Amino acid sequence: MTLGALGGQGPPGALGTRGADLDVRAITKRFGTVVAVEAVSFTVRAGEFFSLLGPSGCGKTTTLRAIGGFETVDEGDVLIGGRPMGRLPPNRRETNMVFQRLALFPHYSVFDNVAFGLRMRRLPASEVGRRIAEALARVELGDLGARRIGELSGGQQQRVALARALVNEPRVLLLDEPLSALDLKLRIQLQEELKRLQRSLGTTFIYVTHDQGEALAMSDRIGVMAGGRLEQVGTPLEIYERPATRFVAGFIGDANLMEAVVEGVDGETLVARVGDARVRARRQGWEHVGAGLTICVRPERVRIVRPGGQAHVLVGRVEDRAFSGSLVKYRLAVPGLRLHAAVPYVHGTPLFEVGDAVAVAWDGDQAVTVPA
Amino acid sequence: MKVRGWLAAGLLGPVLALTAGLYVVPLGVYLVNGFHRFKDGRILPVWTLDTYVAFLTDPFSYKIVSTSLLLAGIVTVLALLVGYPLAYALHTRVRSARVRAVLAVVLFCPLMISVVVRTYGWLILLANQGLVNTTLLRLGLIDEPVRLLFNMQGVVISLTHIMLPFAIFPIYSVLGKLDASLKEAARDLGAGPWATFWRVTLPLTLPGVASGGVICFTLVLSAFVTPQLLGGGRVQVLPLTVYNSTVEINWPEGAVTSVTLLALSILSVWVVNRMLQHLPGVRL
Repeated sequence: MTLGALGGQGPPGALGTRGADLDVRAITKRFGTVVAVEAVSFTVRAGEFFSLLGPSGCGKTTTLRAIGGFETVDEGDVLIGGRPMGRLPPNRRETNMVFQRLALFPHYSVFDNVAFGLRMRRLPASEVGRRIAEALARVELGDLGARRIGELSGGQQQRVALARALVNEPRVLLLDEPLSALDLKLRIQLQEELKRLQRSLGTTFIYVTHDQGEALAMSDRIGVMAGGRLEQVGTPLEIYERPATRFVAGFIGDANLMEAVVEGVDGETLVARVGDARVRARRQGWEHVGAGLTICVRPERVRIVRPGGQAHVLVGRVEDRAFSGSLVKYRLAVPGLRLHAAVPYVHGTPLFEVGDAVAVAWDGDQAVTVPA
Repeated sequence: MKVRGWLAAGLLGPVLALTAGLYVVPLGVYLVNGFHRFKDGRILPVWTLDTYVAFLTDPFSYKIVSTSLLLAGIVTVLALLVGYPLAYALHTRVRSARVRAVLAVVLFCPLMISVVVRTYGWLILLANQGLVNTTLLRLGLIDEPVRLLFNMQGVVISLTHIMLPFAIFPIYSVLGKLDASLKEAARDLGAGPWATFWRVTLPLTLPGVASGGVICFTLVLSAFVTPQLLGGGRVQVLPLTVYNSTVEINWPEGAVTSVTLLALSILSVWVVNRMLQHLPGVRL
């Protein structure tokens, strides 16, 4: 893996893009004295699958609701297809939302739920019928039009919510943790379906989730949010490989984070002091000798070896071991630190035992620096 | 916690005994009179259906029943028409919980005053020289006082006021349970505020409207004080007949009219329940 390859995840493979560009310009939203969203800016290309990722209360849902017109922003503006939205209400924006709690109308059938938006636009009944049949077929609910919402399973309700939004051919589709109520298996299946649907429609998707696995798997790009601010925007690979902040490093995937001080730089790598030991990390360019920073190493990049005179290793002890088939996960106690390692299990190789003295190492380009 | 057996019997016993001893038994004793005969100011203990036949064949009975139903119907509709916007405003416009609590008390206030007192209040307001007529005259909207007392209008106005809390609270409570994202979904799908109300909010709050309606309807059907004091003898409803018959010791007739009143109340509750079951998407 070279650095150059990171940016290589090109534009989405949309066929005949009909989504719109989205431009979020420095929006701020306050609820009383609480700042829910603070000066958040990002742009999304037409037809892109963009996720807003963050823990609960990070402002991602408020940002989504501001795009949809459900919250009026205190500062900044949202542009859809280049048009400033200002204080336009949701019914006058070319967006549709899939709500977290789905918000399907319990007093309507599946057909009438999906028809709602089309009927509001006073489309002729024949057109409504045709488009609903198409939308229901697309989400594989073709023959369930007459059912009541209460008669559907969770996954089917999820699909109705999706069809109800997509049938209006929105230029931007907003999804507020739509899969969070489903069980894991169904969630993964629907993730794949959503992604496929998005590619074939070319609609711009803004997907809010707190599940980093979901965001990594589905998105073209991800915006990571924390405390009302946007921490980093990038492709899944960029965010995983080059986290911009300590928060992003810890939130995306598993990470060993170590406080370190730079002792020397050498081309693409640097040597830093962690406690009494010296370790190597990939250099990004801004680091200078004497600077305090955080070093981030993914557990699967950590190697465990028998101790004995190596350079650039941390010496410690195996504190716990969990065997999970393809991987062996170790928890290692290093003076002042606790590290996690995930080592592929190779048939026949002996495992380290709890209490074993070990040395922990990684290749210089496998650790990344993050501002302290 | 589930309560069973002797404990359940022990807990329910006092209530059941009170209900049976003070309500069911006396009512039964009274209703038995419906099958006796009233003659020359005395109740003859013979078993007969004469009183029922007399009541059911007398055109005047139907006049009373229809007046009762009409009064209950008009007041229920008016109370719901006035009450729904009030409940809706209380639900959507009042954000602060404290203000809501204060408004709820204000709305409930009328119930803390005796019906008799409130009815006398309306007597003063609605009289020919009362506040309403004087105001209308001063404003030049009318040339001579409108008769609002001792006729249907006065009874309707007063009863609508008395029934308002019973219409508002069921609607308000259903509005509170409505998932707010349903309204947002309607807006998201292109509906303006009105379309959202007609297609989503109103249909989904109909159970509240129905229970408020049933409460108002049955209460007005059995209202006695207001038709008596404000009707001036021109608003002949079933409770007045029950009262008059009972006072005249014509218990057989009183019993028959009471049974009619009870039957109408039960019927109205049953009809509304049936309607609710056929309402789409309603879970009671």
